[in-house]
Order: sequence, then C-alpha cells, then structure tokens
Amino acid sequence: MRALERPALRSLRAADAAATRVYGWRLNPLHQTGTVAAALLGLLIVTGLYLLIFYRVGAPWQSVQRLQADPFLGRWIRSLHRFASDALIVAVVLHAWRLFAQARAWGPRALAWTSGVVLLSMLFVSGWTGYVMVWDRFGAQLAVSGARMFDALPVLSEPVRRVFAGDQPVPSAFFFLNLFLHVALPLGAAAGLWIHLSRLARPTLLPPRALVYGVFGALAALSVLLPSPLAPEASLLTVAPRVPADLFFAFWLPWANALPPWLAWVGAMATFGLALFIPRFTRRPRTGEYAPSVVDERHCTGCNQCPQDCPWEAITMVPRADATGAQSAFVGRVDPTRCVSCGLCAGSCAPMGVGPMLRTGRDQVARLRAVVSLPGVRELRPIAICCEHAAPAHLAPLRAQGAEVRLVSCVGNLHTSVVELSLRAGAPGVMIYTCAPRDCRGREGPRWLHERLYNEREAELQARVDRTLVATAVMAPGDLDGTLDAWRQFTARIAAHERAATPTLDDPLGAVCEPVPFEAEAR
Amino acid sequence: MSGRWWKRIAGTLVAAVALWLLRAGSLTPLRVGEEQTALLRLSWSARPERIEQCRRLSDAELAERPQHMRLRWECEGRFARYLLSVSVDGRPLTTDTIRGGGLRNDRPMHLFREFALAPGTRHLTMSLRRIDAEARPDSATDAATAAGTAAADRETREGQERRVRRAESLPELVAIDTTLRVAAQRVLLVSYSDVDRRLVLR
Repeated sequence: MRALERPALRSLRAADAAATRVYGWRLNPLHQTGTVAAALLGLLIVTGLYLLIFYRVGAPWQSVQRLQADPFLGRWIRSLHRFASDALIVAVVLHAWRLFAQARAWGPRALAWTSGVVLLSMLFVSGWTGYVMVWDRFGAQLAVSGARMFDALPVLSEPVRRVFAGDQPVPSAFFFLNLFLHVALPLGAAAGLWIHLSRLARPTLLPPRALVYGVFGALAALSVLLPSPLAPEASLLTVAPRVPADLFFAFWLPWANALPPWLAWVGAMATFGLALFIPRFTRRPRTGEYAPSVVDERHCTGCNQCPQDCPWEAITMVPRADATGAQSAFVGRVDPTRCVSCGLCAGSCAPMGVGPMLRTGRDQVARLRAVVSLPGVRELRPIAICCEHAAPAHLAPLRAQGAEVRLVSCVGNLHTSVVELSLRAGAPGVMIYTCAPRDCRGREGPRWLHERLYNEREAELQARVDRTLVATAVMAPGDLDGTLDAWRQFTARIAAHERAATPTLDDPLGAVCEPVPFEAEAR
Repeated sequence: MSGRWWKRIAGTLVAAVALWLLRAGSLTPLRVGEEQTALLRLSWSARPERIEQCRRLSDAELAERPQHMRLRWECEGRFARYLLSVSVDGRPLTTDTIRGGGLRNDRPMHLFREFALAPGTRHLTMSLRRIDAEARPDSATDAATAAGTAAADRETREGQERRVRRAESLPELVAIDTTLRVAAQRVLLVSYSDVDRRLVLR
C-alpha cells in the first residue's frame, strides 16, 4: 500500500501545480477539498430542506415532477441539490486521495481517516435513498439492485424484492423510510464531522469566501443553464435496457447486476475494509522523522505556549513531579498517540525544551553552529529556508538564483533563533518559504511562523533583529514564477539595505538563551 | 491581454470543463438490460399446507392436561414442500423444491424468481405441486361431542381454525399452461391469489 503513496504524491503534485497555475495557491480548490466538502454538505442541507417541503411520500414521482415543472425555482434547486451531491463525492474522494498521497492517514490521524471512510459510506447510502425517493427509472433500478443485494443476506425470509414485483404499488412506508434515512444520514454525517475533526485543536470548517462563491456559483449556473432532467416514472412491469444513471453514486450498479449478490457483497466489503484499514497498511515506525515530540523538563518553564500552538492538542500541562523552588509548578507533557511529529511545538518554545528528536530548537541551533563554524562562513549567501514538502521542484531554480537552501520539515518547526543566528553569522538575509497555508501538513506552520516573526508570539523573533532582512513567501507547485519573483524582490531589498551594524559571532547561542547541555538520556 | 486575464479565461474554461464532466457523470445512460428481452417474474407469498397426523384425545386424556393446553385434537407433522417447475416452449427454466420460510420452514413460502425470455409467441407451462403427499393432510375431522357443552364449543372452534388454515394454504397443485405473446421489454408477472387459490398471470 505504501508503494502506492509515491505515484499518488506525484500525481497530486502535478494536479496541484496545474490548479495553482489557473487559480493561484490562495484559491486552489485541491488544497481545500475537505472544507469544500463541508460547504457542499451545508448547501445540500439547505436545498434539501426546500425540496422536502414539496415531496410527497404518497406520490413521489409526481411531486418531483411538479417541482421539475416549476421553471423559476423548483427545477434548478433540484438540479443544484443533485449536482452538489455529485460535487460532494468528488471533493471527498479528492480529499482522501490527498491525505493518502501525503501519508497523512495513519497514526494519530487514523481516527480522522476511518471516520472519514464511514462518513463517505453514509453519504453513498444517503445518495442512494435520495435517488430512490424520486422513483424514476434510475431510482427503481437502484432500489431493485439494492434489494437484490439485501436479499442475499440471511436476514429476512421474505425477499425484499417482492416489494418491487409490480403486483401491487410500492407502499408509501417504503418512501417514508427512504425519506427518513435521506434526512437522518446527512444530519448524522454532519454530527460525525465532530468525530472526524475531534483530534484538531482549531479545525477549519469552510474554504475562503471567494472559493465558496465560486463553487456555489458554478453549480448554480450549471443548474440554471443545464438543469437535470427528470427520467420517466418507474414502471416495475417493464424492462428498461438503459437508465440515466448518476455514476458518482451508482458506479457499482453494473457490477452488482452482473455478479452474484454474494460476490458483489464480498467486493463491497473488501473495498470498505481496505479503505478502513489504510491507516494500518501505511503506518510507519515512530522513529526518526516520525518520532513524537518530547518535553525536556529541565528547560520547560511551564509557559503553556506549546499546548496553545499544537494543532492536535497533543500537549497538556501537568504538575511537575519533582518541582523545586526554581522550577515551574507545571510542565508540558506530550501524548505520543496524538502527536503527528509536525514539530510546531519546537518553534513555540523559547527555551527550546520541546520538539521531536533532532528537530528541537537546540538541535536546529546546533546544526547551524556546525555550519557557521566551518571556514569561510562569513561569506554566506542569502538563505532560503524552505518547507521540504512545499515544492521540491523549486529548490534547484532557487539554488541557481544564488540561494543557500535549507530545508525544514515544516516552517512552524523553525525556531526564530535560527533566523537571528543566521543573520548574526553573516547571512545577508533569510527568506522563509512556506507551503500554501491551506496545504500545510502541520496545519498551522505558516500561521505560527508569521505570528512569531511579526506579532511577538512566543518564541518570537527578537526585536533587535532587523525585519528588512527577513521575509516569508509561499512556495507552491505550479507557481515557480511566484517563488523566484519573491526571491528576486527579497535579494534586491537586502542589497539596497544598509545593515546597521556588523554582527559578531562570538556567542550566537548565548545571545538567545542560556546554554544547557544536551543529554539524550534525560529526554 | 495581460497574464491576469489569460488566467481568468483559463480558470473559467477549466471550471466549465469540470462542470461538464460533473453533469456527464451525473447523467450517464447506463446499460442495465437487453433491448430485445422480456422477463418472466414469479413472485408470491403463500402458506404451505401442513401435513400432520392427528389423534383425538379422550376425555380422560384431556382432563390430565393443564387447562390452557386442552385441545381435543393432538397433531404432529410438518409443512409440505412443493415442487416448482417452469418451462417455456417445452424448455425447462427451473425445477426446484420450495419450502416454507424460517428455520423450521413454518413460515409462509416466499418466492421471487426472474427468468429472461425472448420476445415472441411463447408457450408457458408452470406448476407448483405438493411433494409431501404420503401423509394424510390434516387428518383431524369434525367429530361429534355432546352438543351444548364447553368441550363441544372448543372442538367446534378447533374445527373452524383447521378449516381456515386449510383455506389459507396452497392447494396440492396450482398450475399455468398457456400460450401468449411476449413483447420486448415487458415483464410477465406470475403471482398467487389467496382468494382464488390459483396462480395469476398478468
């Protein structure tokens, strides 16, 4: 399964690049499939409430026909409801593809993945009931195929298909049941979003307003210009060789009709099981880059900043076990089952006492010291600190522009002391390239970086640092021009800037914090 | 034209193509059956006949039973199985043994079968024949007990219940033997009429 992640990531980056070229990274819909799906669910609930007013369980097709005959509102709201449900499936599938490709389906994120799979199944069933409710030929076909599948289960002795034999009208109770499920399942899915997002400290529920207007407007325009027609009423005593089907919800129909029901069940359950167990198949050992953060209690001041910055609520403050007068009463503790190793806590900790192994602030500073202690470091070029996931294809062109490229797992992991020390070590300037904020694997890396650089959020870039020599920009696949333009502007700016004073490199670490020796055993 | 405008045009075009694909996927004609075919559908729910041996209890035996178990006729048996045979133009489509529903086969006999038929004039022969005929069906009779007593009333009620059960159950044989014109894309439905106790073709 993990072997599929690489081609999936390649295809995702290609699609991302194409979408960014057209819409820009701010409105790239592929970065926001989850929030677009949530917005579409809201649209479906609103349009569904309108349709519910006119639906009659005693005369399902006739009531929909009356709606369809209304040229002003009914027809296009029905079409909007239908097309929005299709778009919802597309958005959810793209969302799952993105998370799978970016290896974001395992470990602490497994709950979100498995609940997402269940939510998608609920949407499929809800869509199935919605089409059956219309009771046109497609709805009847879905009902009969579903009944055929259901009859394969040893549940009822009387075949459900007898309801659709045609010797008597389909009872209203059947349509009422469908109506109930069609209303209850999306509401359940909306409630299920709570579980889906429960691991997140600050979930983003909606895409930017411009994207909402764009998606809703496009679907509304489609509904008005090319509304969905209503198929003829279901007739259980005729064989329809073709039905106008919605492939987003009925892609399984040809297989279900062609295969024996038990085999169709095996296929459906195998697919569901496979999707459900992807976290199991794609998990990694929690070492190296996947090691969870740890708190070095000797350095923890109990400031409560890392729990605030952690997007996964993986850090809590607990009473210190062996508190002395000089130490804080509380100390941070990381729950490794919730920590996704994004390293944002490392960037939030002024005394550099927390973070994943080898990515704490101290580790970053130590690496920088190792570099600047080499001969000739005073001739450093402008530094580009890049998110390693943002756009790997942009790194070579950036180097070609004269940048000293350094990678971080997430810009939120970057400790601001590294920026200051880089400048003090002689770098003419430090440019930090983030991923597109809505595509951050650490969720809030660009946001916290900005706050730490410019708004004095702990661990802030010290006021003594000349902000003219520091800049941030987004590096998004498909926007190489944007990456290079930002670099050119930055280098032009720092070239024109006269530095206030020549920094010294006497004790760069001591300028930022009290030196505390690293002891691996104590961590 | 500036690059910004080109981007807007490209964005509109991409959105239009995406919407077109969305609509096409939403309204795809899906092949679910053959053009030149019809369907023979058998669908019914009927109670199988109970094959049982009954014995009339004497007054002494009856008196030994608890009050709530005093039935004059004590019966043991099972529900009958039926043989379903369907053939079209002499070609057998199915021959199958049909039992009542439930683990003990004591529930109504539910059936739903479909067979593809070629359109045209077809001779349909179909029968549902009771298999278990060796035992005497419902061997209890309306025996005489002194009229006017509580025991007689109870026995009368038992007799009525047996008659209702018999009337509700499938006869020993129900059959259809007919020639008909089958149109393409039509469903010929064979069901069972509880009232007339026969198979109905429509």
